[in-house]
Amino acid sequence: MSVKNVLAVALGIMSAIGGFVDIGDLVFNTQAGAIFGFQLLWVVVIGVVGIIVYSEMCGRVSAVAKRPVFDLVRERTGFGAGLATLIASEIVNLMTCAAEIGGVAICFQLLSGLPYRLLIPLAVIGLAVCSWVLPFRWLERVFGYLGLGLLVFAVAAIKLHPDWGQVAHGFVPGSHSGGSLMVYLYFVVGLLGAAMTPYEVYFYSSGAVEDRWGLKELRLNQVTSIIGYVLGGFLSFALMIVAGALFLPLGISPQFLGTPALAAEHALGQLGLLLALVGILFAVGGAAIETSFAGGYNMAQFFGWRWGKRERPARASRFTLSWLAIFALALLLVMTGYDPVKLTEFSVIFSVVALPLTYLPILLIANDRAYMGSNVNGKLANVLGGLYFLLILVIAVVAIPLMLLTHGGQG
Amino acid sequence: MRISELLNREVVTESGLRLGRVHDIRGELAGGRLRITGLCAGKLGVLERYGVGTQGSGGSSEPKVHGHPVIPWERVVRVGTQVVIRD
Amino acid sequence: MNKVIDVDIALSILDHQLVDGDGQNCGKVDDLEIAGLDTDSPEIVEIIVGGNAWRSRGLLGRLAARLSGDAVHVPWPEVDSVTSVVTLKRPAAELRLNRGDERWAALVGKVPGS
Repeated sequence: MSVKNVLAVALGIMSAIGGFVDIGDLVFNTQAGAIFGFQLLWVVVIGVVGIIVYSEMCGRVSAVAKRPVFDLVRERTGFGAGLATLIASEIVNLMTCAAEIGGVAICFQLLSGLPYRLLIPLAVIGLAVCSWVLPFRWLERVFGYLGLGLLVFAVAAIKLHPDWGQVAHGFVPGSHSGGSLMVYLYFVVGLLGAAMTPYEVYFYSSGAVEDRWGLKELRLNQVTSIIGYVLGGFLSFALMIVAGALFLPLGISPQFLGTPALAAEHALGQLGLLLALVGILFAVGGAAIETSFAGGYNMAQFFGWRWGKRERPARASRFTLSWLAIFALALLLVMTGYDPVKLTEFSVIFSVVALPLTYLPILLIANDRAYMGSNVNGKLANVLGGLYFLLILVIAVVAIPLMLLTHGGQG
Repeated sequence: MRISELLNREVVTESGLRLGRVHDIRGELAGGRLRITGLCAGKLGVLERYGVGTQGSGGSSEPKVHGHPVIPWERVVRVGTQVVIRD
Repeated sequence: MNKVIDVDIALSILDHQLVDGDGQNCGKVDDLEIAGLDTDSPEIVEIIVGGNAWRSRGLLGRLAARLSGDAVHVPWPEVDSVTSVVTLKRPAAELRLNRGDERWAALVGKVPGS
């Protein structure tokens, strides 16, 4: 392997790690840790494997068929089902974007002391300007690398000296002491939803086409994304371990987005706090951009418009207006002052409900020999894809009832 | 008439035997024209609607066909609220 | 094209991507106009794109149609080839496609760097 290749892989991994965690992971992993300690770590593993399975399929479809997954949804499922999928995914994209923007505004607030309400439009304008000005790869890189500030949580997790025996037990599903079975199941659903976000696969597959991947680039990227997601999964572990080691014994319920950052401060002082806030800011900000673009991609790909960051904004004007509209609507949603933590919880639970609609076309298209040729799903991809699809069907059905029954995890 | 209006119409024989609904229309691409040569009627499986089971036909460089039997257009008597075909 | 190719129209053409002569996206095949339905050899004469093409595509389609302008009718002879996409011979602008992008380009163009 040449130096250039190794560098490319390393950079890709770094940006995948920094980009893995978003506001949903932050909220759910921290709350799960604060209530159940380390007992839900096994769920994170399942979630990470799930996103790897479906990202691999999406990337393969995009590289071989040279078209992103959503582009193929309408011709596969017809106008009516395609439009329903579009509407559902746009609602989820919008809610998620709003939640991420709330997170960015809160980070700004903690860093600057300025009022939250003022910082919301600043956050959106900043993100929109970055999206407009930076080329596609640069967006991923900048936000991905700076998101690595989250590594401070891995350090904090170690410094807090948790009972590693208990941590190990957390990787095996077992008891749910600390909360009722219903609340436990709610967090199982939430953690899976936070890991396997729909916008992620849409953005990844459109990005593959933006970058003009062929089969050659595909292999390289599979490696970087798998390693990146696994290491990103370790960040999720760290968040849960930190919460379990610090908040649970102290009985702290992390109702504020700043609470995880305080854990970093507790373990590593002012520097830890700063790194945590910067890491959260860019990881969550990057996710906000991904959701708004996913929204733009989906609209354009359903209607057959020109799309892509490669195009000059005025040439693909409807695509441009679509992603700008997501930012604008998300801004309005956040300005209502609705609690950003609650907004995050809603967005994750609703995206769980939309997951089957998202993942079914991927599974079917990846099996279509006509598009995929010899790169069609092998047995492993189908077994895993099928099992995960059954899983997401189950959680899609129980998600909202669990949320209502447990009052959003409050019990 | 538009194709969307023809799809999903009931197909019956002159003697009243119901053959299901039009789920696709077979055409022939030749000499720059697209002629209609038949109908596919009957039940379409859920997976088939999603393009599975097209027996590998098509590919990114060719259009696709279902593996279903096709009713040749010559058997069509008239197209009204139902499509009536000769027995 | 001297070959004769069989094609299932709803599967392979309807709702597929339209690409113009320059390789640019220019909408989807929203519907197709049939002529000669009462003869022995009806044929597809037009591709209908955008706008109120969706009025016969179900309830959501009718809703979408109300929010759009007029559809564009592309005569079938404008088609160059049918693969997984339908490729046209001429650029979109000559066929009055992608007017939506042109309509909004003025607004988007106001921002520097567009």
